[in-house]
Amino acid sequence: MTAPTLLIRDLYLAFRGWAGQIDVLHGISLHINKGERVALVGESGSGKSVTARIILGLLQQTRSARVSGLVAFEGRALAKLTEAERHRLRGNRISMIFQDPMSSLNPVYRIGEQFHEVLKRAEPRIAPAAAREKAAAALADVAIPDPNRALDSYAFQLSGGMNQRVMIAMALANEPSLLIADEPGTALDVTVQAQTLELMRDLVAKHHTSVLFISHNLGVVREFADRVYVIYKGRIVEHGRTADLFADPRHPYTRALLAAVPRITGEGVPEIDDVSEDYFQPLVVHEGCAEPEVTG
Amino acid sequence: MTHLLSLHDVSKIFAQSKHEVRAVDEVSLDVDEGECLAVVGESGSGKSTLANMILGIYPPSIGTISFRGEVLPGKRELAHRRAIQLVQQNPLSSLNPQRSIGASLRLPLDVHGLGERSQRSDRVGQLLEEVGLPADYAGRSPASLSGGQRQRVAIARALACESDLVVLDEPTSALDVLVQARVLKLLNDLRRKRGLTYVFITHDLSVVRNIADRVAVFERGRLVELNPTGKVFSDPDHAYTRRLIGAVPVVTAEEVRLRNHLMKKENVSA
Amino acid sequence: MKRTLFILLRNPLSVLGLILVGTVVLSAVFADFIAPFPSHRGAVVDFANFNKAPEWPYIFGTDLVGRDLFSRILYAYRISLLLGVVVLAIAVPVGVTIGLVAGYVGGWIEYVLMRITDVFLSIPPLVLALSMMGLLEPTLTNGMLAVTVMWWPWYTRLVYNLTRSEKEEGYVLAAEVIGASRAHMIFREILPNCVPSILTKMTLDLGFVILIASSLSFLGLGVQPPTPDLGSMVADGAKYLPDSWWLTVFPGLAILVAVFGFNLLGDALRDVLGAEQ
Repeated sequence: MTAPTLLIRDLYLAFRGWAGQIDVLHGISLHINKGERVALVGESGSGKSVTARIILGLLQQTRSARVSGLVAFEGRALAKLTEAERHRLRGNRISMIFQDPMSSLNPVYRIGEQFHEVLKRAEPRIAPAAAREKAAAALADVAIPDPNRALDSYAFQLSGGMNQRVMIAMALANEPSLLIADEPGTALDVTVQAQTLELMRDLVAKHHTSVLFISHNLGVVREFADRVYVIYKGRIVEHGRTADLFADPRHPYTRALLAAVPRITGEGVPEIDDVSEDYFQPLVVHEGCAEPEVTG
Repeated sequence: MTHLLSLHDVSKIFAQSKHEVRAVDEVSLDVDEGECLAVVGESGSGKSTLANMILGIYPPSIGTISFRGEVLPGKRELAHRRAIQLVQQNPLSSLNPQRSIGASLRLPLDVHGLGERSQRSDRVGQLLEEVGLPADYAGRSPASLSGGQRQRVAIARALACESDLVVLDEPTSALDVLVQARVLKLLNDLRRKRGLTYVFITHDLSVVRNIADRVAVFERGRLVELNPTGKVFSDPDHAYTRRLIGAVPVVTAEEVRLRNHLMKKENVSA
Repeated sequence: MKRTLFILLRNPLSVLGLILVGTVVLSAVFADFIAPFPSHRGAVVDFANFNKAPEWPYIFGTDLVGRDLFSRILYAYRISLLLGVVVLAIAVPVGVTIGLVAGYVGGWIEYVLMRITDVFLSIPPLVLALSMMGLLEPTLTNGMLAVTVMWWPWYTRLVYNLTRSEKEEGYVLAAEVIGASRAHMIFREILPNCVPSILTKMTLDLGFVILIASSLSFLGLGVQPPTPDLGSMVADGAKYLPDSWWLTVFPGLAILVAVFGFNLLGDALRDVLGAEQ
C-alpha cells in the first residue's frame, strides 16, 4: 500500500506569549490519500489555518511556536527533511491557494512574469518562451478566454474571479501532489465562487491532485470534499465521508454547526448555544474512516 | 398610508476619469414601518451606494428620498440622522479601538441629548444588557471582545439613538456561523420588541430567506426584482435571482432539491 | 502592563534603549546630586587642575580651565533635554492640529495647509536655523525658535497621512451617521488613534533635537558659555586632538548615548504601541 499524500499524527502546537503558553492544536490526526479532496472545517481560531502553515513548514521556524507530532508528506516526515528540502517542496510538490487572490498576486509584476517564477520552482532553467507557452496552456485550462492577454496584464486589471482562476492555474502549474486551499473564494461573489470551485474540482480530479480544503463554510465543503474533518478549538471532533457526515452528524459540535446554517428552504433562525461543554466530547469517527497505520 | 421610507427614481452617478458610472440607476422602492427589507446583490450591484444614500452619507444625484412622507434634504438635520442608523459589516473597524465600549455607546446619547446627563451611564448599561452583554462591559476596550460581542455593541449603538430604521450592512458576514445564528436571533427579537424597521443589505441569500419580509434584488445598479421573500424563493421573477439562489452553497438535501428546481425553471425559460 | 513588559524585555535592543534613556534622564534630573563638582557648570577656574586626563576624582578628565568634564556633561544633558522638550512641546501640538484638520476636512483647506507644509519641509532645519541666526542675534532662544519652526511640518505630514487612512475606518463612519460634530470626529475619534505614532516619533525626535542643538552649539550659535553644552564642548576640544582626547571623546560619546538611546526607545515604543492594533 502506498503512503498517503499527507499524514498528520498527534500534531500539537502551542505559542509562548506574554500570558504564558497558549495551546492551539491539541494533538490532531488526519490523512489525505492520493487524489482525495479532504476538508478541514472549523470556525475562526479553531486551528485550521495554522495546520496549513505547519504542513508548508512555515511555523516550525517561528521562535515562539512549539510544534510536535508527525507530519509526513508522501511517506517522508517533514521534520526529517532539511530546510532546503522543505523549501523545494513548497510551491512545487505542495502548493497553496489563499483566500484573497488580489493580495496574493504581486501588483507590480505582470501575471506572465509571476507565472514564470512559479514554473521556475519546478524547472529552474525553463526558457521564457517555454514558460509562456506552459502558462498560457494553464490559463486556458482554467477557462480564461484570452490567456495571452491575461499574461500581459497586472493583477489589478483583472476581475476578482479572473485573479482567483490565475491563482488556481499557478497553484496547479507544477502538477503538485498536494494542494492546500485556505478559504478559497471567500472574498468573491457567490456566483463567481460557485464557478471557481467547480473549476477547481474538475482540475484536481483531472490531475489526481490531493487537496486539503480549509473552510468555515459548510455548504462549500459539502459541494467540494470527499471526506470531512471537523475541528473545534484545536481538536478534531468528527471525521467522516462528506455524504455521511452531512446526512448524520453525530458530534454535538457538528450538529450545532450544521443547525446554525440558515436554510434557503426557510426554517427560521435557529436557536444555538454559542459555547457548550458538549462541544468538547471525544472524537466521533464514521464507519470506514479510520486513520491509517504509520509505517516506517 | 405613508411609508416609513420612500425612494423615488433615485440614481447615483459617480464621475470617473473618462466616463460616468451609474452606481444606482432609477430605483424606486418603499419600506414600510416594522418590516425587514433585504437588499440583495453582488459586488457592483449598487447596494452599498443605496445604503449610503439612505443614511445621508451623500445625496442622490437624481431623485428624492423621503422619510415619513417628508423629503430628506441633501444635508440632514440631526433629528433625521438619529432616525436612521447603521450597523456595519466589520465590527473590528466599526468600534474605535482607542475608546471604551461605554464611550462609544454614550456618544449617540450625548450628541442627541437623550435622557438626563446623569443617567446616561446607566442607560449605557441597559443598552448592553438589551443586546445580551453584561453592563460592566462599558469599561472594556473593543480589543478585549470577540467578533460577535463587538457586533452586539454595534447593534446597541444603533439602538441608543432610538432610531426607527436601521440599515444593516452585511451585519453577520464577518462572523462565524454559530455567532451569526445568535446575532440574527437578537436582531429578530429586537425588531419585534422595539418595532424596528430593517433594511438588510447582504449577499447571503440563505440569511435573507430566514429574516426578511421582502427582497429587493439589485444587478448593476438596477432593481431587477422586488417581491415577498416566499415568492422569491419559490418562484422568482428574474433569471438573475434564480442564478443567485442557484449559487448558494447549501447543506441539506431539501435545499439541493429546491435549488435544482429553480435552476430547471431557468433552463426552461432560457 | 504585563504585555508591555513582555514585549519590551523580549528585545535586548529595547532594554538597552530603556537603560540609555533612563541614564540620560536621571543624570539630567539629579545632576545636582550626582555631579562631584556642581559649581563647575558655571564660570569656575581651577588652574591647578586644568586639562587633566581622566583620573580620580575627575573621571572624565578636566577642561582647559580646570572644570570637571563629568559634572559638565550631566548639566549639559539637562539643557539638551529641556531644549528637546520645549521644541516638541510647541512643534507637536501645532503640527498635529494642522495635520488633523487638513486630513479630515479636505477640500481647499487641505490644499492650502499641505502646500504651506511642503514649503517648510523643503528647507533643511539646520540651514534655516543658521540663516535665522544670521538675521537675528545668535542666541539659544532664536536657535531653538528656528528649530521649532522647522519641526512642526513633520508632524503635520505624519498625522495628515494617518488621518486620511483613519477616515476610512468604520468607526468614523459610525460617528458620522450618529451626527457627531467635526471637533468630536477629529479630537475624540481620530486623534487617539494617531497618538501611538506621534509618541513614537516624539521619542525618536528627542534624540534628533539634541543632535541639532549640539550642531548649532558646535558652530557657536547655540548655548553660550559658560553654560555647558555637548556641542560646544566637542567644538572647544577639537582643537586639542589627539593629545587632550578626553575633551572631545566624552562629550561626543554623551551625544551618541542620548541619540542612540532615544532611537532605540522609539523603536521599542513602536513595537509596544503598534502591537495594539
